[in-house]
This record gives sequence, structure tokens and C-alpha cells, in this order.
Amino acid sequence: MKILLVGMNHRTAPVEVRERFAVDEPGPWLAKLVASDEIDEAVLLSTCNRVEVVVTTRQLDAARHRLRSFFLRELGRGEPLPESLSPHGILYEHVDTDAVRHLLRVSSSIDALVVGEPQILGQVKDAFREATESGASGPVLSRLFAAAFTAAKRVRHETRIAERPVSVARVAVDLARQIFETLEDKHALLVGAGEMIEMALAALRGAGLAEVSVANRTRSHASALAQRFGASAHGLDELPALVARADVILSCIAAERSLLNVPLFEEALRVRRHQPIFVIDIGVPRNVDPDVNRLDDVYLYDLDDLGGVAEANAEERRRETIRAEGIVQEEVDRFGGWLTALAAVPTIRRVRDRAEAVRQAELAKWLAKTGVDEDSRRAVEGLTRAIVNKILHAPVSRLREQAEREDGLAYLQAARVLFALDDPTAPGADADARDGTSEAETVEEIATEAVRGLAKPRRTARAAEDGPESE
Amino acid sequence: MLIALHQAAAAFYLLATLGTTLGLALPNARLARFAVWTLAAAALLHAAAFAGLHTLDPPPSLTTRPAAVSLMAWLAVAFALVLLRRGRLEGLAGLVAPFAFIGTLYASSAIGGIGPLADGASGSLPHLHVILASAALAMLGVAGVAGVLFLAEARQLKAKRPVAGRRPLPSLEALDRVNLMALALGFPLMTFGMLAGMLWSQGLSGRVWDSSLHATWTGLGWVIFGALVVARFVLGWRGRYIAACTTAGFIFLFFAVVGVEALR
Repeated sequence: MKILLVGMNHRTAPVEVRERFAVDEPGPWLAKLVASDEIDEAVLLSTCNRVEVVVTTRQLDAARHRLRSFFLRELGRGEPLPESLSPHGILYEHVDTDAVRHLLRVSSSIDALVVGEPQILGQVKDAFREATESGASGPVLSRLFAAAFTAAKRVRHETRIAERPVSVARVAVDLARQIFETLEDKHALLVGAGEMIEMALAALRGAGLAEVSVANRTRSHASALAQRFGASAHGLDELPALVARADVILSCIAAERSLLNVPLFEEALRVRRHQPIFVIDIGVPRNVDPDVNRLDDVYLYDLDDLGGVAEANAEERRRETIRAEGIVQEEVDRFGGWLTALAAVPTIRRVRDRAEAVRQAELAKWLAKTGVDEDSRRAVEGLTRAIVNKILHAPVSRLREQAEREDGLAYLQAARVLFALDDPTAPGADADARDGTSEAETVEEIATEAVRGLAKPRRTARAAEDGPESE
Repeated sequence: MLIALHQAAAAFYLLATLGTTLGLALPNARLARFAVWTLAAAALLHAAAFAGLHTLDPPPSLTTRPAAVSLMAWLAVAFALVLLRRGRLEGLAGLVAPFAFIGTLYASSAIGGIGPLADGASGSLPHLHVILASAALAMLGVAGVAGVLFLAEARQLKAKRPVAGRRPLPSLEALDRVNLMALALGFPLMTFGMLAGMLWSQGLSGRVWDSSLHATWTGLGWVIFGALVVARFVLGWRGRYIAACTTAGFIFLFFAVVGVEALR
């Protein structure tokens, strides 16, 4: 059984290409995929920055071909790509450990346009839920996604990867919170009515900012923005009175000279009795005289200052990715161990079946010779079963444990030799032919049993059963 | 036993200090919260130590310096913990811990060696004076710590090096409110404490004002805080200037109450 991941992201395909492959309703697409012979389980993740399909398969080459065809002919509807791009260039693929690591890095927001952004985990959970609901996800991918959620949760709690804001708007909100206990009783003044002002205002409103005034050269523009945000509209001639009332000032207006200068703020501070003012100047050229920052209780940040803070925070996040990568690797190893342990399930079952067959054969022989009564037969039956179970308990447990390690396959091989599992003439070998399970067993059956606890995955089996809600 | 309780409280205050320092340096909000809980545990131990004083025969007087310093430290911690219920002030509460540690350590090392009281240092007026003055110093001390924190944070914001993320520091507005509350409570307590001291002085020497170094410097401290109260509550001033003046005022007052005798 192989795990294969094929997809495209912001690094391999521009947005005009990615949007052509974006999927709103993954259910029908997943149904088509798992209907293919070469694909056992599938999950489709489609976000603004990536479209990826992760599958389990027993026919790697066929699955690889199927997924490429799925992307280019079905999702892309066979439409030609821009000349500068080739299908090989926009699609990447990862197999087994690489695929697991990639999915865990994506879920943990390490492999993201903005490292540490929190939305991706929700999107991965949604993708997994869709796959589960449409019946495309099975035990292996359930366990894989449980590992992805665990890794993401650990990265979020054990590192500071998502702690510092990296967008200018969120930096402004963060700064406002360092100055004011709450924004809910604060008054904001917006100077200008352009798109930048609107974006920054939306962020501040999201943080709970209460009262807003909009001042603009053209009062009608101010009125339009004011109406949208439930604010009051003013002309620039009212600035002195408005500045004195404002706790937060957001300015982005075309002006050749500083519109908001030191005397204006000195007067405002006098009126406000030095109640602090947070000034965000995102105008180019700047709307606020930089000397304003020298005044006590006025905190002025221009676009470069906000950008500088955002960049410093982004750098801090990048440093945190080193720790995050370590956590991801731990979870990759843990999942790898679980996957390897799946291989032990048929061997363990055959060992048990052989022992049981020998026990039953020997018991039948003894019963035929002695002809004991029913009570004695039951007693001997129980006794022999207990002996077999006790003898097998230690080797089977060790086999399970060792199978999760790197050299686990060697232990499995040794077990096959020691118990003569490949010898059709060995005692009890007829049990294999009788139930016909081990060789014909599907990966799904093995994995299902493993998830139920046969292979006892160490701590995330419950998370797999819980699914996305376990986060 | 009482000294052991004082020492245990000092150990917890030290633990809270370390928790706060690490919580702010790393930064780690959980450590800062741990520091607050440790501070609360220390305050309980400290209260038990005070309660135990009454089991002694005769109970030691609060008018001794070790006892007064210990009381002041406990009141400062209690005030900081009460303030925690009014905002994100974990960082501030934690910063009170080192002062509480020093005060309690001093008290635990000196409280056992208290000799007989000076003439006239027992009775209700001296106790009232010490309790009111200790409470005033505790509250104004918290205001001083809040002022230092305000100045540090304002400086970082001005220098465009804001503390980002979940660093457990209070906002400037919250620190300003601490200043407001501490002045509103601390100044009247200080005034009543001084009145009690004057009455005590009159009982001892027949003079309301004994013109000692302690009385003179404390009187100057009262004038400074009186001016601050007027600026704050009558003129409505706030912000960096008030924070700086409060911090300077507390340093002056602390020296007037505790350190000026060393000048003799």
C-alpha cells in the first residue's frame, strides 16, 4: 500500500491557473476517484493557495497516472495552460513518507504563503470531513489526517509560529491593543476614504472599535464610506475638533504636505488631558508630520513602521518553523511506525491461526484416544487454549512493538521463519488454506483492524476515530 | 514557626518573581499566570504568618520596622491581586513580587530579633499610624511599579519596537487606570496616616509637628502626591507625565519613610 499526494500550490501555479482547478464541492470528484480500481482512499484539499489530492493505492504508477489525468482533464477540463507553464511544472507529487510529511507541513501552516496563518487547519479539517462523508476516506487516511491534526495542534501550542501578526492591518490592531485595554469604547477618525483606509478600518472594526468619524476632502466620498461602516462624515476643515476627540487616527489621503502637524496634536493633547492617541499614517507621501511622534502620549506609526514590525514578526515566525519542522518529523515517524505495524497484522494472525490449528488437531487426536466425558473435554479445551495464548502472548506483543521500528520487517521475517509460516507442510499449515485470509487480506481490512486496536497505535487511534472534532 | 512562615512566603514570592521574569522574557503567558497563582499562594502564607503573631505572648507590635515592612509588602500584593480582577494585569502583579520578596525576607530575618519597644510606640495611635501609612505606601508602591511599566512600554512603542504577540504585559490604558485607583485610595490613606502620626506625636511631645527628618520628608512627599492628585483628578491629566511623576513621588516617599533615618 502506498500513499500518494499530487497537487499544485502558490509556488508552482499562479492564481489564474489555480482558480481553474479550484473545487467547491469535493464529494462528487472524490466519488469518481475512489471508483477507480487503482485508488482505495482519497481526500481532496482545495484552498486559495493549493489544490491537492492525497490517496492510498496498491498500484502506484496507475494511481499516479490517474491523478495527473484527474487534474489536467477533469479538474482543468482539458483547457490548455498558459504557454509559460507545463503540466509537469505546475503539478508536484509526493509518495509515502514525503507525502505524509507534506500533508503534516501543510496542516501545521509551515508550507503556507503566510507561515503560521491559522485558516489552513480548518480547511484541512473540512477536506477530511467531506471525504469521510462521501465515503472516500478509509482507515489509513483517517489515521494520516489524525496525525496531521495532532501535528498542527502541537505546532500551534508548542511553538510561537502563529503568535505574531504579519499583516499591516493586524499589526495595527495589535499595537492598538497595547495602548488601549479595549477598543469598544474608543473613537476612531479616518482621514481619507480610499481602499487602504477601508481595509484597515475593517480590521479595527473586527477588533471591536466602537465609534468612527470619516473626514475627507470630498464629503460625498466620506459619506459613502461612513454609511457602510455606520460612521459620521466630515470635511477636512473639522480636523482640529475631530483629532481632539479621536483615540485612534487612521490617515491615507493624497496630500503634498503633512495634513496633521505638531500644533494640531499639541492642542488635541491639551484638550484631551494627555489621553493617548494612536496614529496610523498609511499615506504616501506621509499625511502626519513625523515629529508628532516626539509628543508624549502620541504613538505614530507610518507604513514603513508597520511594515517593519510585520517583517520582524514574519522573521520570528520563520525562525519558529525550525522547531515546527521537528514536531512534524516526530509525527511523521509516529505515523510511519503505525503504518509499518500494519504489516505485522497478517503475520500475527497466521501465527495464531497455526497455533490454534495445532491445538485443535492435537486435542481431537487425544479425544479420539481417550473418549472422555463432556465436562473433561471442556476442561481440557480451556486448558489448552490458555496454554497456547500464554505462550503466544509475549512473541506476539514483541512482534507488534518491533514492527513499528525501523528494523521491524526483519522481525516479521524472523517470525515467518521461526513459525514456518511459509512452509505448507508445517503443522497447522492447513489453517491458511481453510480461512484463506492472510494473503488475500486487503490493506483496508488490515488497517481497519489496526485502527480498532489490533496493532495498538500509540496514542492517536482515538483521534482518528474522533475525526476533525478531536481538535 | 512564624519566622518559618515568613520565610516560606518569601520563597513563594521569589518563585513568583522568577515566573514573572521568565514569563516576560520568553515570553510565555502560562508562566505569567503561574507566577500570579504563586503570588496568591505567597500572600496566603504571608497572611497566616501575620495571623500567627497574635498567638505570641505578648504579641509583637506592628510599629517595629520589620513588621511594618512585612505588612506593607503583604498589602501591596493583596492590592495587586485585587487589581487583577479589573483587567489584563498579570505582568504588573508579577512585578510586585520582587518587592514583596525583599520586604518579607527582611522581615523574616529581623522580626525574631525585635527588642523592647521604644517608649510610647505601643497603643492604638501608633498602630493606626503604621497600618494606614503601610497601606498608603503599598498602594502608591503599586502605582510606582505601574508607572515604571508604563514608561518602559511607552518607550518601546515610541521606538517602534512594540512587544508583539501574547506577551503578558498590560496595556498603557490599564496601567493608567491602576495609577488612578492607587492615587484615589493611597492618598487619603496617607493623609489619615499622617494625621494619626501627628496625634501620636502630640501625645508624646505635646507638639503636632515634631520637625524630625522623617516628619519633614514625609510632609514633602504628601505635598508631591497632593499635587499629583490635583493634576490627576482636578485637571484630568494622565499618561506618561503622570506615570513618571508617580514613580518619582513613590521613590521619594519610600525614602522619606524607610531610608531617611539612615541619614542621621
